[in-house]
Amino acid sequence: MTLQEIFATLDRFWAEQECLLTEAYELEVGAGTMAPDTFLRSLGPEPWNVAYVQPCRRPADSRYGENPNRLQRYFQYQVIMKPSPQQFQDLSIASVEALGVDPVQHDIRFVEDDWEAPTLGASGVGWEMWLDGMEICQYTYFQQVGGQQCRPVTVELTYGPERLAMCLQGVEDYRDLMWSEAVGYGQMRFEEERQYSHYNLELADVEMLSAMFEMCEAEARRITTEGLPLPAYDYVLKCSHLFNLLDARGAISVSERTGIIERVRRLAAGVAEAYVQRRRELGFPLLDDQAAEAAS
Amino acid sequence: MADQTADLLFEIGVEEIPAPAVLPALSQLERLLADGLAEVGLGHGSVSTWGTPRRLTIMVRDVALRQTDLEQEVKGPPAAAAFDDEGNPTRAAEGFASSKGLSVEDLEVRDTGKGVYVFATVSEPGREAVEVLPEILHDAVASLSFPKTMRWGDGDFRFARPIQWILALLGEEVIPVEIAGLQSGRVTWGHRFLSDGPVRIAEPAQYLSALGDAYVIADHERRRKMIAQGAREAAEEAGGRVRLDPELLEEVNFMVEYPTALVGRFDPRYLELPDDVIVTVMSGHQRYFAVEDVDGALLPLFVAIRNGDEQGLETVRRGNEWVIEPRLADAEFYLTEDMRTPLPDRLESLKRVTYIEGLGSLYDKTMRLQRLVGWLCGRVTQVEQDHERHATRAARLSKCDLNTNMIGDTKLAKLQGRVGAEYARRSGEPEEVALAIGEHYRPYSAADEPPATTPGRVVALADKMDHLAACFRLGLRPTGSADPHALRRAAQGIVRIILDARWRVEMPAFITEALDNLPEIDAPGAIAPEEAGEQIEQFIAARLEGELDSRGVIYDLTRAVLGAPCPDLLDAFDRALALRDIRARNEHAFELVVIAAERTANIVRGPKAEEDLQLDPEALTEPEARALYSAFAAARETLRDALAHEGRRDYEAAWEALAGLREPIDTFFDEVLVMAEDEHLRRNRLALLAEVDDLFLRLLDVQEIVFEGEAD
Repeated sequence: MTLQEIFATLDRFWAEQECLLTEAYELEVGAGTMAPDTFLRSLGPEPWNVAYVQPCRRPADSRYGENPNRLQRYFQYQVIMKPSPQQFQDLSIASVEALGVDPVQHDIRFVEDDWEAPTLGASGVGWEMWLDGMEICQYTYFQQVGGQQCRPVTVELTYGPERLAMCLQGVEDYRDLMWSEAVGYGQMRFEEERQYSHYNLELADVEMLSAMFEMCEAEARRITTEGLPLPAYDYVLKCSHLFNLLDARGAISVSERTGIIERVRRLAAGVAEAYVQRRRELGFPLLDDQAAEAAS
Repeated sequence: MADQTADLLFEIGVEEIPAPAVLPALSQLERLLADGLAEVGLGHGSVSTWGTPRRLTIMVRDVALRQTDLEQEVKGPPAAAAFDDEGNPTRAAEGFASSKGLSVEDLEVRDTGKGVYVFATVSEPGREAVEVLPEILHDAVASLSFPKTMRWGDGDFRFARPIQWILALLGEEVIPVEIAGLQSGRVTWGHRFLSDGPVRIAEPAQYLSALGDAYVIADHERRRKMIAQGAREAAEEAGGRVRLDPELLEEVNFMVEYPTALVGRFDPRYLELPDDVIVTVMSGHQRYFAVEDVDGALLPLFVAIRNGDEQGLETVRRGNEWVIEPRLADAEFYLTEDMRTPLPDRLESLKRVTYIEGLGSLYDKTMRLQRLVGWLCGRVTQVEQDHERHATRAARLSKCDLNTNMIGDTKLAKLQGRVGAEYARRSGEPEEVALAIGEHYRPYSAADEPPATTPGRVVALADKMDHLAACFRLGLRPTGSADPHALRRAAQGIVRIILDARWRVEMPAFITEALDNLPEIDAPGAIAPEEAGEQIEQFIAARLEGELDSRGVIYDLTRAVLGAPCPDLLDAFDRALALRDIRARNEHAFELVVIAAERTANIVRGPKAEEDLQLDPEALTEPEARALYSAFAAARETLRDALAHEGRRDYEAAWEALAGLREPIDTFFDEVLVMAEDEHLRRNRLALLAEVDDLFLRLLDVQEIVFEGEAD
């Protein structure tokens, strides 16, 4: 099964569960969770079911394209359901079966892996889903996002499509993965990994990035107080990515690190609060009328 | 009817519970249910609990089907008010009787000793077990505590993981209980993939075998044995011997419901990695068991436990082999990168790593450690010149592994020290230095051993004391059970190392040295060095109390020993054990001596105590006083000799000498009035008693001793 077939199959599967199929967010994010379709939508009482593919950037995972399964840019297939349905775990397994995995012939397991994103003031309880020892999904019940308790609870299923495809295609190196029948992942992306690794690890201008961080932080704060959480959140995401770049350059000491994480967390918490406030003003449009009344 | 019983079976089906949470939850469940049954007076037989990642199960055998009838006596009005002069019941008696559903003839009149009253005997029939059990089961589940709980869906119920089903049977009958919006039934679920559909349980006794048929080994003891045996056989077949790390075995046991062992291989070139790294990569990330040859050397093999049967085993093996490869490749990458800079050359870079906010860098900490090691080496007689050289070097390199790529990987971070040791070897450092670096964090836990080499002990002591000094000075002492800086472990480590090595380290001096060693501290919440010093001393003493307690020293004796001046931990320890034995040999004799000494102490330390006493033996006139003085002088001599030699202080002899004072003390008190009118006489008698009290204080503070029957 090619990568694009995996995406198409998962789209079909989750659309049948009444998930919206949306597109990736266009800014650099470290994980699909940071996209507004997850981070912001998991706030407040409104229901939300969605699936999308999100490209992710992790500069610290730069390996010049040489590590068989570590990449500084990769994909996540993100599913969000809120409130979490009682049978979600069964759905998660059924989705893997839909990809042609016969669970009897494999070893599928859920291994404790609670999640915490300090920069987002977010944490959850969940698992890695293992396929023959390989982590192919993260399965998490959000408990807190942007410093706020999640009520109702959002459940998130994040697939690692590359890992999944490696299992399904029986290859040991991402370079041998087939994106389509005709074009391989390595052909598409090896050079990108090489160039970005050089940049991320060796060449990124630390001074410039630090200055940009300060600017984006100020802008995020300013726009939040203007009551526009959506554009403000863009600048939070930029801060987060700049922090990751600086970190990959080894430019952040252990003590600075805690401080910077705390600064980004405060921005995210401010946005989260402003977002819920704004949704309340709008009367929580995604709730049915009765529930909206009760919630406001 | 009351003697009829049935088995109770209760299973909570969950999404995979974290492995370490299962056993504690089961023992809580057992206690909660036993308490619940006892409270409502339902008798029962033996209890078993079984756990898997997806279920917490308890079986209580022979639960009484109904409570025993309760007969209760209710006191009514006074007899004088209940009956008139002719003995006819009044309105009060009729009202009381009818309120209890009885007629007046059923009432009894009895003298309670505090007046004559009317009594009614009310019998409350026992309720059916199946009526009272739902509440007990519900409350037990709601009371289970986990290290971490969660909510799910739009509910507010908290549990370790979402609950998926509830099975509750009393005999063949379902106990109706609702938990987290789920209704109980007689249905459980077998293995997620090997079993098809729900499994109906007709009666509790069928449970284990029905699940067995559905590919679930619910009995965790049996499952553990299967895993151990499977792992051994699989490794043997591949020509090796499995290292069955018990902690890992326990974890794996609660990650599978139907275990099958398989052997995988990895590229032998990874054997170049330090052993600890290979084993940790395999166990930490993937929960694989390491495999060794007959000489104990690692083989490029691992044993994985799959949750399933033999089907597709080859696919599963291949998958697991793929996964371990990039993880080992990462470690190899770290090693290659790290080795570009020999360990000693990393020292400079520690200047950029903060130790604790407000206490400088790890480089600063390293410099402090070197000084503290120097101080210790000068004071501990067992430390020789070579030891000092190696310990100083080890202290200098001890933190150099902290900014390596290897330790930077969160899953390998726990190898700090051990990676440093390996890197030190590879950087050409002497083996003694490598060993000391490797063990300076030990003991990691109560189950772990303290360092075994002299340089390792010295560096470990310095490291821990510096940590205590730093944290207490910053006002970071632990509160309640929270101890984020692991200060209890550090203090415990100090105590255990010293007792294990039998070193004499003057604790207050050591603490002061470590505090003086710190840089200027100007942080909010910081406290003065003197106060920090006192806190640390008490904190360490509390850990020593724990050590004594685990050796059967009763708490009052511990307090008595620590209430006397303690030149060092080892002295207090030995003294406590000696007195423990003396007391155990003849509790009565021990008490008599202590009582005599207490009389002394109560006077010289009591409200009538006087200051600046000066004993003038010549001015003691009464024979009893003179006798006490000469007994005291002899005891003082004996004590001095008995305690003179640091290496072998003879506490038995010292105690014998003190015990010899009992009679003279008692006689003195019987015959002499201490509080004489004459000031000179009085003060001289008090001075004598103060000297006697001081002598006892060489061994213990008698006022702390509590006798049986005496309130604390």
